[in-house]
Amino acid sequence: MKKEKLSIDDITLKDERFRISYYFPLDELILSIKKIGLINPPLVAFRDKHIILVSGWKRVLACAELAITHIPVFVIEEEDELEIFIKAFYENLTTREFSLLEKAEILNRLKRFGEDEQNIVRHYMPLLNIPRNLPYLDSLMAISQLEPEAKRFIQENSMPFLPASLLAEFNPEERRLLFPLLSPLSQNKKKEILENLQDISRRIGTPAEKILSAQEILKIQNSEKLSSLQKAEKVRFLLKRKRYPAFSSWEESFESLLKKMRWPKEITIRPTPYFEDEEFSVTFTFENKEKFSANLLKLQELASREEFSKIFNLVK
Amino acid sequence: MIESKYLPQKVYVEKQSFDFPLTKRILESLSQIPIVAIENPRDLIENIRTSRNVRERGKTYLLLTRQKGEFVKPCPCTPYYIGCNYFIINLDLNCPLDCTYCILQQYLSNPLITVHVNLDDLWRQLDVFLHRNRAGILRIGTGELGDSLALDHLTENSKGLISYFREKRNALLELKTKTVNIKNILKIEPARNIVIAWSLNSRRIVREEEGGAPLVEERIDAARRVSEKGFRVGFHFDPIIRYPGWEDEYGEVIKRLFNAIDPGQMAWISLGSLRFPPSLKTIIKERFPSTKIIFDELIKGKDGKLRYFKPLRLELYKKIIDLIKNWGGEKIPLYFCMESKEIWRRALGWVPKGQESLQAYLSSPLGPLKK
Repeated sequence: MKKEKLSIDDITLKDERFRISYYFPLDELILSIKKIGLINPPLVAFRDKHIILVSGWKRVLACAELAITHIPVFVIEEEDELEIFIKAFYENLTTREFSLLEKAEILNRLKRFGEDEQNIVRHYMPLLNIPRNLPYLDSLMAISQLEPEAKRFIQENSMPFLPASLLAEFNPEERRLLFPLLSPLSQNKKKEILENLQDISRRIGTPAEKILSAQEILKIQNSEKLSSLQKAEKVRFLLKRKRYPAFSSWEESFESLLKKMRWPKEITIRPTPYFEDEEFSVTFTFENKEKFSANLLKLQELASREEFSKIFNLVK
Repeated sequence: MIESKYLPQKVYVEKQSFDFPLTKRILESLSQIPIVAIENPRDLIENIRTSRNVRERGKTYLLLTRQKGEFVKPCPCTPYYIGCNYFIINLDLNCPLDCTYCILQQYLSNPLITVHVNLDDLWRQLDVFLHRNRAGILRIGTGELGDSLALDHLTENSKGLISYFREKRNALLELKTKTVNIKNILKIEPARNIVIAWSLNSRRIVREEEGGAPLVEERIDAARRVSEKGFRVGFHFDPIIRYPGWEDEYGEVIKRLFNAIDPGQMAWISLGSLRFPPSLKTIIKERFPSTKIIFDELIKGKDGKLRYFKPLRLELYKKIIDLIKNWGGEKIPLYFCMESKEIWRRALGWVPKGQESLQAYLSSPLGPLKK
């Protein structure tokens, strides 16, 4: 590898064959380059009479933002694209964590440049902290082939492997409908929506697109009164009800009994998860004897109500 | 009756396993099949594990190797649910059948059909194990990590196992299968501590979810022939799977079963509903894209496995128990595989007090085994 100084304009950024990083913020890197300059030169290679970037997209784009005209680079003289890419891979591997999307792009490039599939699974996937099996490779390949909008969504939402691979199983139109629903939710809730939607779709043999375009969901989506988080939560609830009708009806009966009893908010009563056992737990906090006694009195009063017995009938 | 006879495309033999009598017997009966000697099964397993169609490929290869650890282990069961104190003999691993719901797809890291050939070690280990546990009656079987009879035309292990166990007064041997590979069994004299058991399911589940397995009618017919020979037979409705019309179709199987076999010959019937660890769902989705059984109302149980929401399980069990009792199975011991005490109480009306009481219950129809 030769170290040279090149004009940024001479680097053909349109050629993205070695690129693995997309949709990243540059603010911190710009600040760093402003303060101490570009310490670590990007890697470039000559291809089809052009200089193309192999590694260092963030660095080059940050320098361009700062209007730096010339930068130091390492020129890789290797001909074989797989060998070039492997150099770039190892250059990055020791210096930073890869995002899920970057891992997907790395595996995609390795495959595209002709690396043997079994070697990818056995050698590269463990280096990327990915379980060494082909289904994982297939899922990550699917992620790497998503439309730019979906890739951006995965990257900007820092989606972990499971929800991202589920997202990749929907079609682009379905994903487009899903983005506003998933956006405001936590990772677990994102995963829940995706899993439930896919399960319902497969169970009833109806495309997810049709389920998402149902009147009841459109009504929520078009509401002007609801915030985007409220809309997402309502759709999540609706899908859960469709996915688990019997369990949801039990949950609703339980909630409705508590409502009828005007169960106090400061005392929590819970069945076991999914009503799997016939037991309940009650919790409350107290800071003194008086508060403790007041809660016990309240519980005694609740226990004497007719609705309280119905709670036990529910789980039998 | 069509016998499902497994023939591998290739046999891998660990070099140090060539001299065992079981290896010789198997290789003799597979003289037309290519044989490859290998130093270490680990490399082969690793190579197949990282290739495409792992499970499909694994089923086409037979691996003859030694069991280097313990042959006999407690059945892993599942935490937080009632176990049945069963012991398993890890003689064969994996199964040539290809059931969508099969836990082995996820449970075993070795995808090859594997036969452990060091039988002398097995008998030695069993002697010690049975002696150590001589205080009670042990239920022990080979059908947990493989099908007990699917390879029996090659291994003839049923003969050796039955001969060994018929002399043991504190053990019940169960050979559990979905196949009709009973030729060897029919040549052996029965013993009252030997139970030949079949996993049964409704016609639709057999057709759609139990790839390569004989029809349920064929299994019942095989059980009839074995019971007429004088063996006790057992049945496992496991996994019971919900779908529109399940009640009628399971009813038909139960009717056929009791029309074919004298309930007095039935040692036990176990019931278990569909359940599996969440990671198996991904495998099933990928390997069997047309199956819908994993999309039913399965919640996460106390053990983390997906299983039907409790009221749905209860409904399944109650109806199947009623059907069994109505068709003449009132006196047959029924038990659940991996179920909660609530389910036992509500569906069967009692809860076993510890594993010993379940043990005694399940061995009761066989009469006292100890001299």
